[in-house]
Amino acid sequence: MKDFEQLVVQLAGEASMVKPAPHPYLLSLKLIGAGAAYLAVSLAVSGLRPDWTQAISQPWFVAEIVILFAVFVAASLSAALLSFPDLHQKRGLAFAPLWMFALFLVVMWFAWRADSPPAALPLHTIECTSCIVLVAFLPTAWTFYIMRNYASTHFHWAGSVAILSAFSVGALWLRLQEANDSIAHVVEWHYLPTLAFAVLGLWIGRRLLKW
Amino acid sequence: MRKALGGDQAAYAELLRETARLLRPFLSRRIGFEGDADDVLQEILVSIHKARHTYDGNRPYKPWMYAIAKFRLQDYLRVHYADQLRHAEDIDDLENIFGADVTEPAISYESISGEVLKLPEKQATILRLIHQEGYTSKEVATTLGMTESAVKVAAHRAYKVLRQKLER
Repeated sequence: MKDFEQLVVQLAGEASMVKPAPHPYLLSLKLIGAGAAYLAVSLAVSGLRPDWTQAISQPWFVAEIVILFAVFVAASLSAALLSFPDLHQKRGLAFAPLWMFALFLVVMWFAWRADSPPAALPLHTIECTSCIVLVAFLPTAWTFYIMRNYASTHFHWAGSVAILSAFSVGALWLRLQEANDSIAHVVEWHYLPTLAFAVLGLWIGRRLLKW
Repeated sequence: MRKALGGDQAAYAELLRETARLLRPFLSRRIGFEGDADDVLQEILVSIHKARHTYDGNRPYKPWMYAIAKFRLQDYLRVHYADQLRHAEDIDDLENIFGADVTEPAISYESISGEVLKLPEKQATILRLIHQEGYTSKEVATTLGMTESAVKVAAHRAYKVLRQKLER
């Protein structure tokens, strides 16, 4: 290691004017805007589920979509805050996706109770997970690309919420595109894999966001 | 920091020095080795430099700075303890050592005395006076008409020769 004073002089010599990072709220708006636009384009290309008028008359379906969108917003906001070393001194907000996901689980539990008699299970299984992964790929890459421009000191959690944010877009797309009302199926093949990928994000965050 | 973000090099250098002054006690409380603490401090300063665009000047500087410091400290501690684990003895390997008879000395008193007698006369006398008669180095120096440091040097050389002979 160099002499301390020499290092200070060297760093000070490199201290040209820097453009400060945008406020995390602006950054999260950028992530949310991009994710929402991507979702809209994906739905425009693939089309809405054929029974969408009937689906939106079911309160638990609407609640599921609203809370899933809230998970996406909270995860995007958290990803923006976690890109800053000090979480922009808004620690409570950075961990908001946990509460939002807990609320989502409660909604799913009520939706499962309301699914009586249970809707028929669709024939496909892993195909749903594969579709979510494919759709979520671009938002995941975009979110990590944005986050790498900053300096996260919580890279595990940052990776996890980045994946959760992107996979929420994928899950929203599939739920709005696929004519399927089986709660057991969506929990097993949509949301549990999303959660599993969010857990995998702890490791991906370490690989991609360490600086 | 605001001045530094605006490109004021003198203000930035002063900020880095002040930051180092704040961090030194923080690091030395957590890192035992002085050299390592200095290395971590320099890494923290480099990290602060790299991440300075994430500080906008509208919120307190210290929480931002300590967040980076803790992050780098954790990095150091993670690597440090991983190294400690790598160099740790396996408990299975220690079983061979436990089996050895450690109460039976490998070197007897007679063998040491025999080797002392083979030393040059002056060295043997110095060892005898110190270890059998209980003289201090100063008393030996007065008795033999030497300086105290010469006695210590002679004793040191004698120990070295004895160690080499007894370890064979």
